[in-house]
Amino acid sequence: MSDVKGKVLKHGEQTRTMHWLHLICFLILGLTGIGFYWNIGWINDLFGGPANASLVHRWTAVVFTAGPAIYILLNFERFSKFIDTISTFTRDDIQWLKTMGGYIPFLKGKVPPQDKYNAGQKILGWVVILGCLLFILTGFPMWLWRHAVSPAFLDFCYTVHFWDAMIMMLAVLGHFFLAAIHPQSRVEFSSMMLDGYVDAGVTAHHNAKWFANLSKLE
Amino acid sequence: MNAVEVGIIRVTSSCKGCDHCTSICATGAISGEMGEKHHIDLKKCISCGQCLINCPFSAIEDTSMVDTVKRALADPDLFVVVQEAPAVRVALGEEFGLAPGTNVKGKMYAALRRLGFDRVYDTEFAADLTIMEEGTELIHRVFKHLGVAGFEHAGPLPQFTSCCPAWIKYAEDKFPDLLPHISSAKSPQQMFGPIAKTYAAQKLNVHPTKMFVVSVMPCTAKKYECNRPEMMASGYKDVDAVITTRELAAIIKEAGIDFVNLPDETADNLVGLSTGAATIFGTTGGVMEAALRTAYELLSGQTLGKVELHNVRGLKPVREATIDIPIKDLGRTLPVNVCVVTGIKHVDGVIEEVLAGRSPYHFIEVMNCPGGCVNGGGQPIRRDTY
Repeated sequence: MSDVKGKVLKHGEQTRTMHWLHLICFLILGLTGIGFYWNIGWINDLFGGPANASLVHRWTAVVFTAGPAIYILLNFERFSKFIDTISTFTRDDIQWLKTMGGYIPFLKGKVPPQDKYNAGQKILGWVVILGCLLFILTGFPMWLWRHAVSPAFLDFCYTVHFWDAMIMMLAVLGHFFLAAIHPQSRVEFSSMMLDGYVDAGVTAHHNAKWFANLSKLE
Repeated sequence: MNAVEVGIIRVTSSCKGCDHCTSICATGAISGEMGEKHHIDLKKCISCGQCLINCPFSAIEDTSMVDTVKRALADPDLFVVVQEAPAVRVALGEEFGLAPGTNVKGKMYAALRRLGFDRVYDTEFAADLTIMEEGTELIHRVFKHLGVAGFEHAGPLPQFTSCCPAWIKYAEDKFPDLLPHISSAKSPQQMFGPIAKTYAAQKLNVHPTKMFVVSVMPCTAKKYECNRPEMMASGYKDVDAVITTRELAAIIKEAGIDFVNLPDETADNLVGLSTGAATIFGTTGGVMEAALRTAYELLSGQTLGKVELHNVRGLKPVREATIDIPIKDLGRTLPVNVCVVTGIKHVDGVIEEVLAGRSPYHFIEVMNCPGGCVNGGGQPIRRDTY
C-alpha cells in the first residue's frame, strides 16, 4: 500500500510534476487568452501589452502540449492504465452520477464504491483530454498556418478555441472547488499538489474499489 | 487633408490580431503583431478591400457613402442617376440567397428604380468608351514602335490597362517610372461621370449642379477613385458617391423590397447599345479581350469572326498569349504579345522586365483582385464557402 503508515500513494512524482506544469500553463494561457481576446488593458499590461501576451500565450502553449506528451512517452503504461480507468463506466459509476457522489444535498441515495477515480473525475479526465486536443488542433493552425488557411477555417478555429476555453475554465474551476475547497474531498489537494499521498481511511471510503484492489495486492 | 488622404479601408476595434490580413495585403500596408489590433498605413494602402473581404472577424470596414446617397435620394432638388458595373449583377443575388453567378441585372434595375433613382443607367456603355480609347491608344503606340510617321508622340510599349484604381495607385506609389506605360484612358466609372454631368444633363435638361451621380461597384477602391482631385472633367465632381454591391443589397433589404420576386426591367438608354466586350470587363482577361477585339477590327479592317479569345482567359495569376493581327495599312501581320496579371502580388516581376527593357509584351492587363472585379473588395462576403 505504502511506506507511510496509514497513507496511500495515489499520484507519483512525475504525475504530480506534470499536473503542476499543466496547471501553471493553464493559468497563464487562460489569463493571456482573456487579455488579448477581449483586449483587457490591465491583463495585457502584466505581460507588456497584447502582442507580448499573445507571444507568451503561444510559447506557453508549446510547453502545455510538450509537457503531457513527454509525460505520456515516459509513463506510457501508467497513462494507458489511466485511460483504461477513466474509460470504464460501471453501474456504480452511473449510480454515482445519479447521486452526484453525495455532493448535492437534495440528491438522496447511497453513493456506490468507486475506483481510483470516481465517475465525476473520469468525466473530467475526458473533458481535459479532449479539451486539450481541441486546443492543440485549433491553436497551432491559428498561429502557424494563419497566412495559409482560409478566413472561414480561421474563424472556425477561433470559435472552437474560444468555447473550448470557456468549457475548460468552468471544468477546472469545478475541479478546483471539489479538490481544494469542498470539505468532503479537499484531502485530495495535498495528494496531487504536494506529496502524492492520501489518507488510507479516506481512500477506503471515497475509492473503496481501488482500495480493495490495493489491499489484495498487498 | 483631402478625401484621398483620409483613406477608404480601416481596421476596427473588433480586430482580434489574428494577423491573417498581413498576408492578404499586397502592398504591406497592414502592420501589427499577433494578438494586437492591426493598423493600415494609408500611404501604402491601395483601398482594394481584399483585407476586408478576407478578415475572418469582419473587423475591417470601408468608408460608407450610403448616407450621402440616401440624402441625395431624399432631396427633391437633386436628379439622381446611377450606374452599375458589370460585376455587380452576377454577385448581388448572393445577398438574397440566389446561387453565385446568377445574373440579376433586370431585378437590379427594378430595385434601383424602387429606391428612387431618377435614371438607372449601366456602366457598360462607358466600358465600351474606355476600351475604344485604350484600344486606339494601343494602336498608336504600336505604330510608333513600328516607326509609322505621325505617331511619334504616342507613349511607349508595352501599354498597361488603367481601369483598376487599386492597380493605378500601386503603380503610382511603387513604380512611378512606369506611368508613361499606363493607358491614359480613364476607367469606365470615371468616363460615365462626366458624360452624365454634361451630355446626359443637357439631354435631360438638368443643371449639372443638380445632378447627383452614384456608382454601384464591386470595388472599394472605386470610392478612392471618385475622390481623386483630378476627377472633375465635367467641371464638377464627376461621380458623387460610390456604393458597393454589399451596400446596395443592404439598402434594398432596408427598404423592404422583395428583390427575388421583382420583375425584370431594362436600364435607361443613355446613348445607345453596349457590347458584350463591356460585359466581360469585370473578370480577369476581360479588358484585354475587349481591347484586342477593338484593336483587331481597327487594324485589320475586318470583323473578327470568332470574338472569344480563349487564350487570355483563365485564373492563372500571370497568363500570356500571342494574337496575330493583320495590319491593313502596313500590309503585314503583327504578332501582338499580351499578358494578363490577376492579383497585384504577381505584377512586380512583369513590371521589372518592362522597366529593364526586356519585356516581350505589347499590352498588359493588370487587375488587383484575384479573378478580377468579380472578386472585388465590395462584393458579398461568403464565410460559408471560404
